[in-house]
Amino acid sequence: MTRQDREPRTRHPALLGPRIVAGVLLALGALLIVSALGIARGGGYSVIGPATIPLVVAIGLLVLSVLFAVRTSISPDADLATLAADEEALTHWPTVGLIGLTLVAYALALDGFAIGPLDVPSLGYIVATALFLPVTARVLGSKAPIRDVIAGLAIAVGVYIGFTEFLGVRLPAGILGPVL
Amino acid sequence: MDVLGDLAGGFGTALSLENLLFAAVGVTLGTLVGVLPGIGPAVTVALLLPLTFNFEPTGAFIMFAGIYYGGMYGGSTTSILLNTPGESASVVTTIEGFQMAKRGRGGAALATAAIGSFVAGTISTLAITFLAPVIAGVARSFQPADYVGLMVVAFVSITALLGRSLLRGMISLFLGLFVGLIGIDNLTGQQRFTFGVPQLANGLDVVVVAVGLFAVGEALYVASRLRHDREEIVPVRGSLLMSRDELRRSWKPWLRGAALGFPIGALPAGGAEVPTFLSYGLEKRLNPKAPWGEGAIEGVAGPESANNAAFSGVLVPLLTLGIPTSATAAILLVAFRIYNLQPGPLLFTNSPELVWALIASLYIGNAMLLLLNLPLIRLWVKILSIPRAVLYSGILVFATLGVYSLANSLVDVLIMYIVGVVGFFMRRYDFPVGPMILGVILGPLLEAQFRRALQISQGDLTIFLTRPISAILLLTAVAALLLPYLPRLLGRGQRLVFGTGSED
Repeated sequence: MTRQDREPRTRHPALLGPRIVAGVLLALGALLIVSALGIARGGGYSVIGPATIPLVVAIGLLVLSVLFAVRTSISPDADLATLAADEEALTHWPTVGLIGLTLVAYALALDGFAIGPLDVPSLGYIVATALFLPVTARVLGSKAPIRDVIAGLAIAVGVYIGFTEFLGVRLPAGILGPVL
Repeated sequence: MDVLGDLAGGFGTALSLENLLFAAVGVTLGTLVGVLPGIGPAVTVALLLPLTFNFEPTGAFIMFAGIYYGGMYGGSTTSILLNTPGESASVVTTIEGFQMAKRGRGGAALATAAIGSFVAGTISTLAITFLAPVIAGVARSFQPADYVGLMVVAFVSITALLGRSLLRGMISLFLGLFVGLIGIDNLTGQQRFTFGVPQLANGLDVVVVAVGLFAVGEALYVASRLRHDREEIVPVRGSLLMSRDELRRSWKPWLRGAALGFPIGALPAGGAEVPTFLSYGLEKRLNPKAPWGEGAIEGVAGPESANNAAFSGVLVPLLTLGIPTSATAAILLVAFRIYNLQPGPLLFTNSPELVWALIASLYIGNAMLLLLNLPLIRLWVKILSIPRAVLYSGILVFATLGVYSLANSLVDVLIMYIVGVVGFFMRRYDFPVGPMILGVILGPLLEAQFRRALQISQGDLTIFLTRPISAILLLTAVAALLLPYLPRLLGRGQRLVFGTGSED
């Protein structure tokens, strides 16, 4: 315990992030306990049933989450607060959000998807990847779009040919199917 | 003599043209990913797993071993030239290595790291050669209760000794245990933690979890702060060779590093980080006249050979007991299982050709690394100048590719991204990711052995304390748990920290 540990919690606005994490962990712990209690006991097969270890893990996680919640509120961890403050100052959230979006779009474009009547076919590996790489590089702050497009095309075509022709791994041909 | 005969047979297999090629691909790929920040040997092996399904196991493992070693070596390059450790076991190297690079001795620092890695790697491979069969022999008498003890030691030591916070390490471990439990229970067929989602019934593929946690998590984390981090690459100036004086100052730290690294790596408390810190401290004490903080070559030579030796040491519990003590070893264990091989005492009797070819390939890989790396240093340095934006976009492309090619499943890819977001927050708030991946892989094994042990004892929990081996192991686990708090228990002082626990 250092002196900072005992300062009032208002001095640690940076702990907001860790508090959210603590909340999520608590919710997960509780959910797991409910879920573990719902596992049917497999009678007689073994001394330890299928529910025992899940229950131990769920309780362990919940207890640890409570301890972590305490360390972000009642008895703040000064070390963690400093770290969280540094992180917050350095984080550019829009980048993280946009990368998340491009990733999901990439996965959907790769595999195709169907929502209700909307049935979008796969764009195929080459097209999806050749689009994803330059867009992501741009989100990450690249200022050389032509280079990125070339890199994307090269990787997409190289991987597709290498994987399907030489490694025997199937990748979706998608809209380029008739050509390939 | 027996061992030498087996080893000769191993060399016979490993020296075939095909296997030499696998070794060369492995060490090159390993060095490449070691040099690239953000992806390490664990992710690389995980990403390559789906590609090697059609390979013959010996070749695949020779390649994996090369990646393992190469990654460790490549990590030192970024430490020295960028002041950014490529792997956590290279953290210590940055202290003196970057200072050497700034003073125009970057070439010598890279050389001492390469030669030290070779020396230590070869010494520890010798140790594996003679030690592993002996341990495998002893381990044949191990019972389920003893394995439970071993795994508890591995869990406790990786969470308690590494990372800045025991609490966060434990949370990471328990998250891993939870993920490991998802799916249908082998023994009873009950669904556990599947929440009614049919895709979860078969559990989460370890590759999905590892790639998400390491590659996607790291890419998101770097992306979040790319606008602020500015890196400075120190160009390699001057000779790549060490001067006579530098050589004279290096060889003792090499040997001491190997002597520290191997046994610590081989303990089920292993990992490659701890010995690097110990080696740095030891060299500092033994060479008080060296220019510490201003580029002391001893501070590069010792830790670099220690981490290589420890890396080999980690293979001992993996091969002989089936217990991985680092994230990379955990992924290797998964690789063994894909080929229906169970590492453990029986591996030496059931698949002697594979084991001995693997061990022989360690000698070959080490020699290859030395031959490959010293002349290619300038090329590796070029790789460091790939723009970060393109590099991380590329990492995301390959992460997606690796997971998608597992089963062409959109769900797998989306789960990997979710795990990646978890990994992002873990990095952000300093939760070590190593314990989580170990939990995912070892958790189910621990449960299986635990149930088996209790079946033997007919439900009597005291079996873990009455069997001497498991009792001693559990005591060791308690000791490992208390060790970091020793200074505080004795009066004053900080909690001991042995590493960051973020080995990937």
